[in-house]
Amino acid sequence: MTVPFTKRWPKGFGFILPLLIAIVLLFDLPIVLMLGRSVSNPFPTTEHYMYLIEQPVYLQVLANTFRLALIVAVFSIFIAYPLAYWMTKLSKRNQLIAVGIVAMSFLVSLLVRAYAWIVILGNNGIVNRSLLQLGLIGSPLQFIYNDFGVTLGTLNLLLPFMVIPLYTSMLQMDKRLMLAAASLGANPVQVFLRVYFPLTLPPLMSSAILIFIYTLGFFITPAILGGGNVSMIATVLDTLINQLAEWELAAAISVILLGVTLVLYTVYRRIEAMFK
Amino acid sequence: MKKKFWASKGAWAVFPILVVMALFVGCSGDQEAKEDETGTTEKEANGEYAGLDSSVTLRMLESGGLSGDSIEEGYIKPFTEKTGIKVERENPKSLGKVEAAVKSGQKLYDIAELSSAEMRQAVNKGLLEELDWDKIDPEPINDEAKSPYGYGHQYYSTIMAWRESAADIETWADFWNTEKYPGKRTLPDNPVLTLPFALLADGVPLDELYPLDVDRAFKSLEKIAKHVSVWWESGSQPVELLINGEVDYAGLWSGRVAGNEDGIKYTYNQGLLDLTYFTIPKGSTDHLAEVYALIREMTKVENQAKAAEVIFYTGPNKELSSHLPQDRLDEYPTSDENYKKQALQDPEWWFEHGKEVDRRWREFKLGLGK
Repeated sequence: MTVPFTKRWPKGFGFILPLLIAIVLLFDLPIVLMLGRSVSNPFPTTEHYMYLIEQPVYLQVLANTFRLALIVAVFSIFIAYPLAYWMTKLSKRNQLIAVGIVAMSFLVSLLVRAYAWIVILGNNGIVNRSLLQLGLIGSPLQFIYNDFGVTLGTLNLLLPFMVIPLYTSMLQMDKRLMLAAASLGANPVQVFLRVYFPLTLPPLMSSAILIFIYTLGFFITPAILGGGNVSMIATVLDTLINQLAEWELAAAISVILLGVTLVLYTVYRRIEAMFK
Repeated sequence: MKKKFWASKGAWAVFPILVVMALFVGCSGDQEAKEDETGTTEKEANGEYAGLDSSVTLRMLESGGLSGDSIEEGYIKPFTEKTGIKVERENPKSLGKVEAAVKSGQKLYDIAELSSAEMRQAVNKGLLEELDWDKIDPEPINDEAKSPYGYGHQYYSTIMAWRESAADIETWADFWNTEKYPGKRTLPDNPVLTLPFALLADGVPLDELYPLDVDRAFKSLEKIAKHVSVWWESGSQPVELLINGEVDYAGLWSGRVAGNEDGIKYTYNQGLLDLTYFTIPKGSTDHLAEVYALIREMTKVENQAKAAEVIFYTGPNKELSSHLPQDRLDEYPTSDENYKKQALQDPEWWFEHGKEVDRRWREFKLGLGK
């Protein structure tokens, strides 16, 4: 007796098959090819990885990128969490407006938004000119073209990725849980720490990870607001691929970047499991 | 009855994908068919270009933008007029595109534009055809434009520029002198351009620039680094920064400021000249004679003058200066006067030392912005 088709294949498998093929061909295959390239020319070799260890500057750039991504992810938590919480407390109509404003920032080109920060915080920007004219400072303060500028610009761009998921999960939360906790004698701080916060933790962590990973690959914003003073890995890869034609070295760096990201993701899953 | 896969609902999801794929295959088939048709009907051009197949369409990879327009106006239009041969442009250019086309064996580009550094990389990777300069038979052009693997069709220059409100400067030593000429600076985030400037600022004469003294260059850079608020990556950045008053002095590409009246002043003195080349990707053309004819047409002085009307970059014809608008001569990177004041970039040296210098550049950059 033959097993019915639906038993051997999950139901609706035909629907996802094209997607599966597309992902394997367009996403997985290039990654495998990249892995291959990092140990080729001549094949097989570890010389590109050895170069990275002997000349640690590229790994330092990688470390710097991770450091900045971590800063951006942490700060986004501190800003997005109160914002999302505040939004849930608004009237229905105002909630819509607030969500609209947050989502609308997606409509403005990231280039425009990066340059807007120059107009505001640059050497010749509104803030510096005002301070100069008020006589509060003698020479322009350096707000951008450094780590701070990159952090601010990236944070500004990626914040909606955390606000929206947090807001949705806070909205869907069963309010009776908090009332139940209070009726059992918990004070407001305990209610928040032991009931409310743990319930928002999964979307909080997943969007923090998302923002962290996005920041790792950011290119335009660091280029404009870092003024070339902030070393990020995307710029290094661009040079290695487009100027020096050192594709193997670029592949080796990418593999390390991928590896470290995967390790961090595993750590995150462990933490998540611990909370459950 | 047992349900077969192709009778299941899921199968219908596969169907549209197949249709799309079929359409793609169909379209590419059409294209090939068209080429075959045009290839068989042979017509002949007259005069200078006798013997060419005028039904051919050449495919060109180029930078796009104003530069692409200048190629269209200056070179393609007169060429098509004389020969009937059409040229289709695709942009933007990149070494990656040429490499992918050659390695996949597809004849995508009869002629491709590459920067001098990209051309050197491409030669190393065996991606280019050697040119037969006897067959091209060019008009008198500068020697550096007549490379074995490429025709240097366009000079561009990296120069110093400043806001009108800032004091005029003449040399990179002035640019480095922040006491006499106060104000923020911007320089390219690219050692290929910035290291030569650092050496010129430190007193190395124009004609002794190469081989570069890398240690001396980085020492010189340390002196200016804290006054450089931006190391730019895209050519439009330094112009923006000057206009907004973010910086007072900039090292930037000449074509971004020459011919404009934005309240920006500049000089070609101690500029760094480089050439952009047209090359033939290996095994990519069936129309070599036609491509050679196009290159010959590009070496003509009247065409180069026309191209220079569109963009303030110039061709390599030795007579070009006398064909440019005389009242604006000093705005072109290779007018006789400006050519003498500048250094020529050395792609060969950078090919040898690029990787090593990039590593040191990264180390230098890691110490910034803290």
